[in-house]
Amino acid sequence: MGEPTLMERVKSRIGWRGEEQVNLVEAGHVRRFCEAIGDDDPRWLKEAPPTFVVALGTETPQIPEALEYGKGWLNGGDRFEYLEPIRIGDEIRTRTVLTDVYEKRGGSGGLLFLIFDTEYVNQHDRVAVRVRGTRIRR
Amino acid sequence: MSLELREGELLPDLVKSPTTRQLVQYAGASGDFYEIHYDQEFARATGLPDVILHGLLKAGFLAQLITSAVGSGGVLRSFEVTYRGIDLPGRPCRCRGLVTAVTDGIAELEVWTEDPGGTRTTIGKATVQLPEAEAAAG
Repeated sequence: MGEPTLMERVKSRIGWRGEEQVNLVEAGHVRRFCEAIGDDDPRWLKEAPPTFVVALGTETPQIPEALEYGKGWLNGGDRFEYLEPIRIGDEIRTRTVLTDVYEKRGGSGGLLFLIFDTEYVNQHDRVAVRVRGTRIRR
Repeated sequence: MSLELREGELLPDLVKSPTTRQLVQYAGASGDFYEIHYDQEFARATGLPDVILHGLLKAGFLAQLITSAVGSGGVLRSFEVTYRGIDLPGRPCRCRGLVTAVTDGIAELEVWTEDPGGTRTTIGKATVQLPEAEAAAG
């Protein structure tokens, strides 16, 4: 039995859960987010646009073992499932879980895929949005 | 204003011309401060040609394409994107979409971003629940 490989060590982190975060959906924050996208639909004066949830405390979770792989992060993709609108003034609880890790090897080297699931729960204890993010080390 | 979504219909194109300044705005508003989006030296050290657009900014553009075409009556139920290629600031990023199916009041859309060479750098799908009247006509 030798030392565990890097892949074994990263895989052992499946099930990692981030800290729970609670954030108020603030009008100014939503406005700045919409300005950054360039979306001036007046609908976003009351409601958050579809991708706003990512701004509620979800910097790429730091899994130290993953940082030993490759030189940097790439974003592979995101999937959003919408159950309820998120409105200005809502209080949203989030927690991110690392649900899968796998490697793909190609001609130009390896890629490490990390799958993160995040639920956004509102002040009525109902899941408003679910997001599955695929983050890649290469 | 909302578009009548019919199978085979193209959504009106949305053309964005993101600048590095906009990437900084998006970094601030989203909380994603990964340096590849505003620090050229850092981006090059990870093997990129220049700073690149946040994948989630492109997702935000595509979400705007969808919500502006659908109007406030339609409800976005799911939205997913895969980032296949990089996009650089200073170049137009064309957001396009197609209605691939309308069944039982649910429209399925295919969406994508195109770089100036016509390469699809982001591909995605969305499902939209249509307003009652449209669903009945539909």
